[in-house]
Amino acid sequence: MTKTRALAAAGLVAVAGVAFFLWSGSSGDERLIRDQLEALRTEVNSTTTGGFGSVARAANIGSYFTEDVVVDLGESTAPIHGRLTLMGMAERLQPRTAAFRMELDDVGVEIHSAATADVTLTVSFIRQNIPTGEESRDAREFGLGLTKADGTWRIARVTAIDVLR
Amino acid sequence: MTLTRRLVFGSNPRRTAVRVLVLAAVSFITFKWVLMPIRAEGISMLPTYRSGSLNLVNRLSFTYGKPERGDVIGIRLAGPHVLYVKRIVALPGERFSMIKGQAYINGVPFIETYVRERRQWDIPEVTLTAREYFVIGDNRSMRASDHDFGRVDISRIVGKVVF
Repeated sequence: MTKTRALAAAGLVAVAGVAFFLWSGSSGDERLIRDQLEALRTEVNSTTTGGFGSVARAANIGSYFTEDVVVDLGESTAPIHGRLTLMGMAERLQPRTAAFRMELDDVGVEIHSAATADVTLTVSFIRQNIPTGEESRDAREFGLGLTKADGTWRIARVTAIDVLR
Repeated sequence: MTLTRRLVFGSNPRRTAVRVLVLAAVSFITFKWVLMPIRAEGISMLPTYRSGSLNLVNRLSFTYGKPERGDVIGIRLAGPHVLYVKRIVALPGERFSMIKGQAYINGVPFIETYVRERRQWDIPEVTLTAREYFVIGDNRSMRASDHDFGRVDISRIVGKVVF
């Protein structure tokens, strides 16, 4: 019995070791990128009262993107070029986006080199109908291209992926 | 052994623990790899599936067979946590179009009994490749521009909605 328990304990330790190894294996750049995306999500979901708050928030959101970022939302929309354009849009759309909550799911990170990585993820915009409390979700898949400069990963390319064409 | 302890742990606590573990393992395997629970959000599948309803996707549905016309399927985006739920209306190799809300397959009108109200949607004819299905929601009372539909690659199909 004691031997069985010792074996079971050893098995548990082995499983925990493998789990720790796998967890630590995803550290470094992959974890930095995941943290960065999570921070961006938090920033987008934060609410402001307008004025300087909106400007500061747009600037914060812009800091997650490279200066020459290209955002391609699909065939029906012209691509957005540049961080400044994106920040301007984020500021102007603030009253409308305040009604939404953004969620990120199924984030897959692929590191290509010390300074480039690709990410695929599902982005959901969730809007709550105030009178009924019912939520509606608009979900899309995106591909991101990230580059690392000065130790920080930033989004250089955003491409909407059409699952239904 | 007190009555409460006996009710909670049974007459043989060790056997009860084993049963609980087995049940937990079977539930985990079933709901992780076989029957995937999903919660419908949105109105695109009305009246078949209401927003907020809890449904199950059978991931093994198409292990030995191919999706068929009329199947309601789960379609993955970047992963399995957010799915589109749509109905297959046209199969690989077929031509699909919609004129004033009436669906046509290979030029022949297709009767959709599950559609209650329909707007005058127009979808230009598309010819599906050997790997594509045409999927669309049951709710045609909404504007076509508010509705996600179109061709989907077979690799995106997660399984059949069975409940």
